[in-house]
Amino acid sequence: MASPARLKRIIPYALVGAAAGYLYYAAANFQYHARAGVLGPDFWPKALLALVIAACLYEIVMTLALGRRDDVGGVLEEIVEESAEEHGGAAAAAPVESRPYLLLGGMALTALYVWAITKLGFFTATVPYLAAFVALGGYRRWGVIAAVSVIGTLLMMFFFMKVVYVSLPIGQEPFAQVTLLLMKLMGIR
Amino acid sequence: MEGVLVQLAAGFVNVFTPVNFAALVVGLIVGLLVAVLPGLTLVMGVVLALPFTYSMDVIPAIILLTAMYLSGTYAGAWTSILFHVPGEPIDVPLLWDGYAMARKGEAAQALGWTLLSAFAGGMVAAVVMVLLAQPVAKIALTFSTPEYFAILFFGLASVVSLGGSSLTNALISLFAGLLIATVGVDDTYGTHRFTFGVPLLSDGIDYLVVMVGAYGLGEVFLRMEQGFNSVPLEAVGKIRTRLPRLREVLATKMTFLRGSATGIIVGLVPGAGATVASFLSYGIEGQYGKRRQEMGTGIPEGIIAPQTAATASVGGAIIPLVTLGIPGSGATAIILGAFLLHGLQPGPQVFQTSSHIIYAMFASVFVGIIVMCVIGYFATKAMVRVLEFPEVIVSAYVVMLCILGAFAARNNITDVWLVVIFGVLGYLFERFKFPITPLVLGVILGPLAESSFMTTMISYSNDWTVFFTRPISGPIMLIAILALLYPVFRRMRQRMKQRIASQ
Repeated sequence: MASPARLKRIIPYALVGAAAGYLYYAAANFQYHARAGVLGPDFWPKALLALVIAACLYEIVMTLALGRRDDVGGVLEEIVEESAEEHGGAAAAAPVESRPYLLLGGMALTALYVWAITKLGFFTATVPYLAAFVALGGYRRWGVIAAVSVIGTLLMMFFFMKVVYVSLPIGQEPFAQVTLLLMKLMGIR
Repeated sequence: MEGVLVQLAAGFVNVFTPVNFAALVVGLIVGLLVAVLPGLTLVMGVVLALPFTYSMDVIPAIILLTAMYLSGTYAGAWTSILFHVPGEPIDVPLLWDGYAMARKGEAAQALGWTLLSAFAGGMVAAVVMVLLAQPVAKIALTFSTPEYFAILFFGLASVVSLGGSSLTNALISLFAGLLIATVGVDDTYGTHRFTFGVPLLSDGIDYLVVMVGAYGLGEVFLRMEQGFNSVPLEAVGKIRTRLPRLREVLATKMTFLRGSATGIIVGLVPGAGATVASFLSYGIEGQYGKRRQEMGTGIPEGIIAPQTAATASVGGAIIPLVTLGIPGSGATAIILGAFLLHGLQPGPQVFQTSSHIIYAMFASVFVGIIVMCVIGYFATKAMVRVLEFPEVIVSAYVVMLCILGAFAARNNITDVWLVVIFGVLGYLFERFKFPITPLVLGVILGPLAESSFMTTMISYSNDWTVFFTRPISGPIMLIAILALLYPVFRRMRQRMKQRIASQ
């Protein structure tokens, strides 16, 4: 019976292996007209996927059957780690506290921002996003938050739309009116 | 040789035009600031700067990004030495002797040695870069597809065998990158591969989207999980730089030479980069240096070795980029992206078609090193003050620039979603110790690797042994396989030694 630690260790490999298996199936069903004596467009991806599956199986078997815990690392990576350890582990400082809720909040906020950017327009979506991100990160000087959100967004909008000629999303009505007004004020056509 | 010097002189003239020189200075200053800020890495900085070059001409765009890359290897040393805060992983070895010197009350001397090391390492590598580029390009012109595939295979094998804490994870990361590169319509058959009915995926996944997501957004997510912190700055008022005397420099000339050579060689190898150069050079000095017993106690050799190597790696990494079109590091991959955005494919033929651009880039390295050192000498005190800027605000701007950069490339929101997806993937890779560099280099080199492999198979009737039987590709393939197996042999030898010692 495998220990929970071992099972936890194989989860990423099992997931990657399963995904590779599905993609292998997808690659096997590519539509094309085969030419005699010429490798098809499925050969390269299928070869790569077979290697991914083999690597995952190797890790799973080694972990479950042999309980292997130490990996063969890259040569220079090991040299780097050894020299860092020799000098009091300056690189590997004290263990860092994990804040999963902060991370999930940041990811959700970013996904919401990308969803909102086409609906609200670049300016109307970016200002609250920057403010919310900074506040979520624990910064509480509201005046600074407001300033960096509004000024930073306006500067980027001006640079990308006026200097680099990138047409940033203006959003849907009625939010588009805000962007159009700002564009008019900044002389962006 | 005369031709090279004439073209280099023309490159210098190009660099000193107002627009190009302004791009150089801006690139240097931004690179210095990026290197000082702990929330931003060198590669992230160059990735984020790329969208700003979209409307520029190719020469100022390349000069700006190269300048950022160059100065990004230098300024992180200041915060390592003064505050025990490495701005970049490159600067960790500078904690050991640089910070120790500062604690002995010799911070000004430590900063002086850093400046001189960046100057010497950068200059030596720049000279080697100019001398080697044309001969390497001439050899590369004789290559056929099996040789190209062998070189790419060697590059990818070295990325796997050099970095990462697990060889299997590095391999999976590389294969994932190569697979991402297959998404889209196949060139030979016109087959849709892994597009899943999404129209934008028919054009493939741009590697810049992968880089922006994995390096930029992924890093922000990782820092978010760890909580953001700011560094309390003490003793900023006392900062100054004192250059070493000629007698002191001559006494350490072998350290300068060893560091420069290490940096250039490591820079040439794909996937290694400035961080590895810095650590490796420190390790070499600890083994072969005259004062190896005193390393770590605050001696100049402990500063010279990592800093010369880090800056010298820039010149080394530019050689395969311009002569073969193969980027050796994350930063050079973005510079390759800037070339491609302007319709220019680096490689051996670029010396015949657009040599003025390449020599302007080379000249900008020479001028950049000098200007960087001048800025470093006079502006250290002002620049380290950016450390006071809250990391969370820097990170919020990084996310905004990632989104803007992805959108600006093709004016399509799907690319932005892809950046978010690759950001999450980048975070998961970091979290589960899958290295990101093989993924990114796999995406970049994947199309070239596949096309050279498939063309070889068509030309040689599917005979795969051709890679091993041709006089140039054969040895390269063999070296690549040995490079892949070396970590395994190394581990076996270590275990054997441990077993013998325990008996």
